[in-house]
Parts: sequence; structure tokens; C-alpha cells
Amino acid sequence: MDFVPGGELSRRIREGDVSAESELIRQFEPGLRVLLRRRTGGDHGLLQDLVQETLLVVIQRLRGAGIEDPQKLAAFAAQTARNLAIASLRKAERQKTDVDTDATDRNADPTQNVDAIAGDLEAALAVRALLRELPQARDRLMLKRFYLDDHDKHIICQEMDLSEAAFNQALSRARKRFRQIIEERGFAKRDLLSLGL
Amino acid sequence: MNQAHIDQYVAGRMGEAEACAFEDYCLANPEFARQVEYEQRLKAGLALVARGSTAEFVRSNDHPLRWNIAAAAAVLLSLFTMYFVWGHYFPPSAKPLLAAVTSESQRSGPALRLALVRGNENAPVLPDGSVRVEIVGLFDPGFHYSVGLDKLEKNTYDTVATLYSQHPTSPVTLEVMIESDKLPPGTYSLRVRKQSSDEESLDFSFVKF
Repeated sequence: MDFVPGGELSRRIREGDVSAESELIRQFEPGLRVLLRRRTGGDHGLLQDLVQETLLVVIQRLRGAGIEDPQKLAAFAAQTARNLAIASLRKAERQKTDVDTDATDRNADPTQNVDAIAGDLEAALAVRALLRELPQARDRLMLKRFYLDDHDKHIICQEMDLSEAAFNQALSRARKRFRQIIEERGFAKRDLLSLGL
Repeated sequence: MNQAHIDQYVAGRMGEAEACAFEDYCLANPEFARQVEYEQRLKAGLALVARGSTAEFVRSNDHPLRWNIAAAAAVLLSLFTMYFVWGHYFPPSAKPLLAAVTSESQRSGPALRLALVRGNENAPVLPDGSVRVEIVGLFDPGFHYSVGLDKLEKNTYDTVATLYSQHPTSPVTLEVMIESDKLPPGTYSLRVRKQSSDEESLDFSFVKF
């Protein structure tokens, strides 16, 4: 997809062009998801809410007063998302009270939990499928050490007696396959519940 | 920006200023951002799987035939159950349970507006009759959407109907018709998903008395 310059999008939205608003959503949503995923600690519901809120704030601003430097529209949207994430965190902190954690756990509604982390559960199912497909135990262990234990690539290569090229190749294959599995399968909610996490 | 930057960002090894510059770049480059999001999801998925057991990472591969037989048995059982439940709850009838809005006359009947409202604890109630449901969210008019209707039980979901290739009425609304009288009382969820995309679905719950 070609990126439409911020200045042009800003102008078209100010002039009431609805298709420009759709373009803005298409262009910014993936980046906003990246940014907010890092700031919402795996709360899928909050992530979705904040993405929507950010897009609404940006669109409303462009429909009205506009922004100082329309060329920096992407940076403006990113900063709006950061501010909303901080505000949401502060609100959650303010609302924190002492609770009986055991009682809360006992009465927790499992379906609500699934909603909150549905996106990650989908990823977990894809990871399971990926791990089943990987022919060598070495590749599975490599993924764990790189992504979960955050070990440095060079140390992994050294300790597992791997060349850097072989490491990169195996990692790239795994990434590609993971994406394919997610795109092909489109897991249903009942699959997620069956994961029992 | 390259793979090394993605690795650093996903691992949380970037300083704040560098991370902000990286995020600004993601907003300006949607395809790059998608690549980053897959990395984030891979890491999150691995963490969830490892939470269950790290044995998944070290075990040898299972016997595929055994799993194939188990999967085939599970599919047959699911089909039989669906057939039974469908026949029991939804006898054949002219009007579909879930349908597109096709005429202006449908707009004069009962309606329900569903939106994602954080902190809203009271699920909206579906009125009786042929109900036009207006789903409020951010939609892309250039895409088709699928709408699934799930009946929510305590620990499970049953998809009772699915509608494909729906066009949003506007960038913020998508409408469908629900034959409310055919639904047994309970809690339901409309699952809206953008087709041909990797975006996650949006869920809108409601109650039928």
C-alpha cells in the first residue's frame, strides 16, 4: 500500500472526505497496535479500545482545528496514542484498591479472561502448531531462548554450536510460518477456550 | 529500520527515545508495523505456551497418525453435536436467524445499537421480532466483514450463525438483521471480523430474555 502523505490526508479530512478517514485508519492502525501493545501489558481489550480512541481523537482533530504541522501527522498520532495509554494507566492506578485476591480468583469469569487475552491465545495456538511442525528440537529450543529467555543471538549460536547464518535462517523460517498459520487458520473463540489457559 | 531494530524493540532493549522514533516509523510504514506486530504476537504466544509447560519446546514430535485420528473423531463429534443442537433449537423456517439489511422497511422495525463501551457492565437487551442491529465501531468501507453470532455459555461458545461479505453502512456502522424470536434466552455475542485481513475480531455482547 502506498503511504499517502500526512499533509494531503489532513487536507482531505478537513474538507470532509470520508474516504480519507478510511485511508488514515488503514495506514495508522497497524503502527498504533504495535505502539499500544507495548504499553497495555497484554490486555487485548484495552489495546483495542485505545487504538479506536486514538483514531477517533486524530480524526476529530483533523476535522476541526487540524494540527500544526500536517507533514508530521504520523508522529502526532503516535504521541496521541502514548498520551492516551499514560492516561489509562494513571486511571487504573487511581482505581486500584485492596482486594481479596483469592476470592477474586475464585469468582473470576473465565469467559471475560478469554476476551481480555484472546489475541494472545490465538498466537499461542499458532505457536503450538508451529512447534509441532518444527522438525528439530534444536529449533524449538532456539525460539524459546531467543524470545522467552531474551538470550543474545551470539550466545545462543555459541552454546548451541550454530552458525549465525543457520540461526537467522531457522528464525526467519519460524517467523514466516507463524504468520502463515495465523493468516490461514483464523482461530475461533472455541479453539481458544480449548487451550485451557 | 531492519530486523535487528525489530528484535531490540520486541525484546524491550531500546531506550525510550529510540523506541519512540521506531514507533513513529511504524505509523508511517504500515507493512513494517504488521511485521513487528507478528513478532510481538509470536513472543506473547510463546510466553503463554511456556506458561502451561516448557515441555513443548523440548519434546520429540508426536506421532502424526494418532493426532489425525483424534482430530477426525473430534470433527465428527462436533458435526453431530451441531446437527443435534441446530435441529433442536432452530427448526427450519423461511427467515434466517442472521441476515443482511436488504430493504428500507426493515429500518422502521425494532432496532438495537451495539458499541464497545469500556466499563459498561450492563449488556444491552435484544428486543423481540425482526431486529435491526446497528454495530458501532471503526469500519473500513473498502472491505468485507464477516459477522458471527455466538451463544455464550459458562465455559464455551456456540456459533449459531455466520454471515459473510457484509459492507459497512458507513465508516462507523455496520448493520445486520436478527430474528430475535428464534433465539432461546441467554447471552450472545456478535463477532465482527474484517475478511482477508489479520485483524482480530470485535465482539459485541447482548442479552435475550
